[in-house]
Amino acid sequence: MKTGNEQRDAFAAPAGRREWLAGGWALFWENPIGKIGLILMACFALMAAASFVPPLLDPMYHPMHGVDPEISHATGPSAAHWLGTDFIGRDIFSQLLAGARIAFMVGLSAAFMSIFFGTLIGMISGYAGRFADTVLMRLADMVMVMPTLLVVLILSSLFGQLRIWTIVLLIALFRWPGVSRIIRSQTLTLKHRPFIEAARVAGASHLRIIFRHILPNVLPLAMLYMTFRVTSAIIIEAALAFLGFGDPGTVSWGMMLQWVWKTGHMFQAPYWLLPPGICISLLTLSFYMLGRAMEEVLDPRLRKEGESD
Amino acid sequence: MTLCTKINRALLLIAVSVLWLCPPGWAETRQPLRIGLGEEPRTLNIWMASDANSNNILSQIYQPLYRHAPGETEMVPWLAAGPPEMAADGVTYQVRLRPARWSDGSAFTAADVAFTCRLIKEFKIPRHYSRWKFVDQIEAVDDRTVRFILKEPMAIFLTRSLTIPIVSEKEWREVAASARKQKKPLASLFNHTVKRPLGTGPFVLEKWHKGAYLHMKKNDLFFGQGLRIGGRLLGPFVEEILFKIYGTSDVAMLALKKGAIDMYWQGIQPGYIENLEQHPEIRIFSSERSALYYLGFNLRKPPFDDPALRRAAAMLVDKSFIIKRVLQGYGSRMDSIIPSGNEFWYNPNLTEYGEDLNREQRIRAAYRILKQAGYRWTQPPVDDSGKVQPAEGLRLPGGSLMESVTILTPPADYDPHRAISGLLIQQWLRQAGIPASSRPMAFGALLQQVKARHDFDAFILGYGRLSLDPDYLRIFFHSEFDRERGWNMSGYHNPEFDRIAEASEKTMDLEARRLRIYKMQEIIARDVPYLPIYLPREIEAVRTDRFTGWVQMLEGIGNIWSFCQLSPVN
Amino acid sequence: MTMEIRRYILGRLFQITLIFFVILTVLFLLFRLAPGDPVSRMVDPNMTPEDAQRLIEQLGLDLPMWQQYLIYLENFLKGRFGISFHYGQPVSEIILNRLPNTILLFTSSILLAAFVGVFLGKIVSWKKGERIDTWVTIGALVCHTLFLPWLALIIIWVFAYWIGWFPLTGMISAEIWTDPSAGLLRKGLDIAHHMALPLITLFLIHFGSYLLVMRSSMLDTLREDYILTARAKGLDEATIRNRHAAPNAALPVITSVGLSLAFSINGGALTETVFTWPGLGRELVFAVSNNDYPLAQASFLLIAAVVLTANLVVDLLYAYLDPRIRY
Repeated sequence: MKTGNEQRDAFAAPAGRREWLAGGWALFWENPIGKIGLILMACFALMAAASFVPPLLDPMYHPMHGVDPEISHATGPSAAHWLGTDFIGRDIFSQLLAGARIAFMVGLSAAFMSIFFGTLIGMISGYAGRFADTVLMRLADMVMVMPTLLVVLILSSLFGQLRIWTIVLLIALFRWPGVSRIIRSQTLTLKHRPFIEAARVAGASHLRIIFRHILPNVLPLAMLYMTFRVTSAIIIEAALAFLGFGDPGTVSWGMMLQWVWKTGHMFQAPYWLLPPGICISLLTLSFYMLGRAMEEVLDPRLRKEGESD
Repeated sequence: MTLCTKINRALLLIAVSVLWLCPPGWAETRQPLRIGLGEEPRTLNIWMASDANSNNILSQIYQPLYRHAPGETEMVPWLAAGPPEMAADGVTYQVRLRPARWSDGSAFTAADVAFTCRLIKEFKIPRHYSRWKFVDQIEAVDDRTVRFILKEPMAIFLTRSLTIPIVSEKEWREVAASARKQKKPLASLFNHTVKRPLGTGPFVLEKWHKGAYLHMKKNDLFFGQGLRIGGRLLGPFVEEILFKIYGTSDVAMLALKKGAIDMYWQGIQPGYIENLEQHPEIRIFSSERSALYYLGFNLRKPPFDDPALRRAAAMLVDKSFIIKRVLQGYGSRMDSIIPSGNEFWYNPNLTEYGEDLNREQRIRAAYRILKQAGYRWTQPPVDDSGKVQPAEGLRLPGGSLMESVTILTPPADYDPHRAISGLLIQQWLRQAGIPASSRPMAFGALLQQVKARHDFDAFILGYGRLSLDPDYLRIFFHSEFDRERGWNMSGYHNPEFDRIAEASEKTMDLEARRLRIYKMQEIIARDVPYLPIYLPREIEAVRTDRFTGWVQMLEGIGNIWSFCQLSPVN
Repeated sequence: MTMEIRRYILGRLFQITLIFFVILTVLFLLFRLAPGDPVSRMVDPNMTPEDAQRLIEQLGLDLPMWQQYLIYLENFLKGRFGISFHYGQPVSEIILNRLPNTILLFTSSILLAAFVGVFLGKIVSWKKGERIDTWVTIGALVCHTLFLPWLALIIIWVFAYWIGWFPLTGMISAEIWTDPSAGLLRKGLDIAHHMALPLITLFLIHFGSYLLVMRSSMLDTLREDYILTARAKGLDEATIRNRHAAPNAALPVITSVGLSLAFSINGGALTETVFTWPGLGRELVFAVSNNDYPLAQASFLLIAAVVLTANLVVDLLYAYLDPRIRY
């Protein structure tokens, strides 16, 4: 991840958007990192989609409720249970699939929400300037330094018990500062562009300027940062579930790891210990790779566009 | 990097590795008993200690006047010299004390006993006050005799009040005096940090290294040393105990297998047994418990305010299945609130719901009960020809559709047994058309919901340690305890039960009291505010190669008799 | 110190105090509004509702909110952090007991990760494009995305269970510490022995990002003018890289340490929990699950204070070390 606040020179309102996208895609696909990332992500998406299948086949494959009528303790992989069963006889493979679904859900929702907040705040801050800018950016600083996991942990006591959507919301509430800074600097440079000046002269309201003119130009940047947010959201949810503060009614990978650990099967059940951790790491890796590839695509194009302006 | 520095570093590395890999060398005489604890004890302050691990430690130090002994039905005099003498008026008791010393050498006298009891009364110490509030006066008649005068005859005085731990007046006098002056005296008492508790027990605390271990040494001034009490010759024959703190049970099990501990003082899951039994040096103890794990209903609102529905639910729950599958055989079914092991008080003639019936027969039986009570289905569980089918659309007697009910359980990692029982019961209830769903909930939040807010349909909870005295029957079901934070969580109100319960509290004659307790159990079994499900056994594991002499008793082998009788092998 | 820097420091200190105050208030509200209370968890049939109520009063949980708030602020300013509900001991004692353990583990792991990351990043950057570069970079990336608790469990499984060279849990061995003949060296080595695995875990997670930062920073630095000058002077490559480029390239790593502090702290808490290392992070997790408000509050405040101060220090350090930046 690039450090420092490299000023990204904004690019003009893309006239040929479709060509631009097509060109971008070609660049992206050339990049081996991007390719691997995309393939991995597709695998997991497939897993998430497939998670609905097992309970339909047989109610015993339900990740949360489904108990094998014959087995009520942890067993190894078998024909009926591809990854074995957990400590109360539930199928581990269906849990893994359900976990993929939860990971996507949590990751994408939390990322989307945090980008939403971040972009909004970044744009307002950059556009409005002065007081609003100072206040919002100080707020961003404050939120950014806090260790998110511990904050959400403390907040969980407020709720007694966290439901999955509460977790998503909390993660989003604490992960927006990073993107807001970038959006803000982008907005600042855009603010003084001729086409914005023109719109203002033409009598467009501030709101219209923000949403109609600035937003489309900051969006690619926001999308880029979304991929990084997904990784942190997935990891935070997994860590919360691992520590025992997750939603006990959902089967996420972090929850699976908590069960292995807390029920004392750490040393006896590698078929249960290994898959969830590998999945978390690979999914995180895939989003990260995607992000890097997108970054490399956007960056040279940004530079290229900037120069020609 | 020069050659010289490189060589130096290499040598250092080698030295360090050698020291690392060498196991600690033991001086030949040291052989401490090493016990694994599941969690760090909270405190050494006996009044504050509400968790099991603090009490495990403190039970080696502070001793009561009377105790239970394995194999004995009557209480055994421990710090007392003999059974309490009751005067003809039924409210005056006199207890003679054994000669004993505190661990600092000072004499144990009746003044200490009187001080302790008065302390409990004055500060209303939460876990003990309810058993002492009816005691009017406590006097130290002389150095070795204490007299108690009750306000009225109370059956529980012998079994519950005289089993409290006795503390040294010397240790606590100043603390109590300064606590009295505070705005919050009880909190002040609780927050007193005890570094070296003064006790009359077999061991004294040497050091508590927070987060890691507690080191105890034999108390040479232990009053029971060499005495024969409860039919047993007491030691202790162990010089030191090391209590090591482990975070998770699988690490502790590993430590046991490797020989890093001799015993793990926490019940283990049945899943470990097979693995542990393969070790020749490890022995598994499976002990009875006085516990209760049950399904509780909320009688304050529909649908479980209808006893017919509760009885139907009772019919559908296959307790034997749970014992066999969930507890893997290490447990027994419960039909009464009082465990069957409690032979004197347990009523064996109760209504058993659906014992020995198979799934289909249970569904039929439940169907009959519900149909008779006025319940209707769009598709009943039993069709006209008598065949069992999936049920749908259950309607209450009033005609309205039954809304889904939630069974709250602790999370699976907290207690897998309760969590999975919830899942199983959910499926069983659905088979008769009852739209149930089991929901795991964080334990603290669960208690809050059930006990304080009374906002639930059903729940599965348990009491891990029920006293042998059945007074808890009254506490769980008397209508006066149906309030915020009261133990009558189901909201059961029955004037007939209330009357009998109040009377039983005061009945001194054992047989008469037993009849009352029997009747109370009958009523509860009929009305089913709680459906008792299972009673798990306490499974503990020890190593047999270094120490021997574990005494098995109700609740397991971690009792004072074990610690007084354990001796090194050879 | 110039006027600007002084003003900057004051400004930041003011900011930190403000943030701290906000956190303080938020924590107060949070715990007062929280549904669970420590008393409700006491499952003992002998405790009547009156007993429970009495206990709640004693713990001061029944006063009106604003009164509690004032008492809370007053106590805090006087340095009294209250008594832990769970342990019944003063919170400051508990924190002082746990803090050194956390500091030991945490700083060692950051230092190790930073040094190794910088060292490897330096090497890898001058072999850019070669096999070793790709593999090390991928390795660092993979390590960075590993799920910490899972990695910790695997490491325990492999090194403490299978191979058995390291202890399974905790910070010390009771046998060594209760042995009257054991000296300081022996005890110190015991701690080191126990610290090895958590250290390795934290190291693996963190060194990756430092390596990548150092690598890209080196690549940028190598394009700078003064490097060209050095080359023109005829200095050999090794000297250029080690003496001229590396020290400057290492600067962003310092800021990276500061920026990723929050992430590292999360990791620290997770590591302590899995390895049962008796540190502050683990205590915080316990305190939250036990509804032990005073302890949870104070631990969190301490962590927040450390993070905020560390950020300030890092910013200042960067400004001091890089003469091109002036506030």
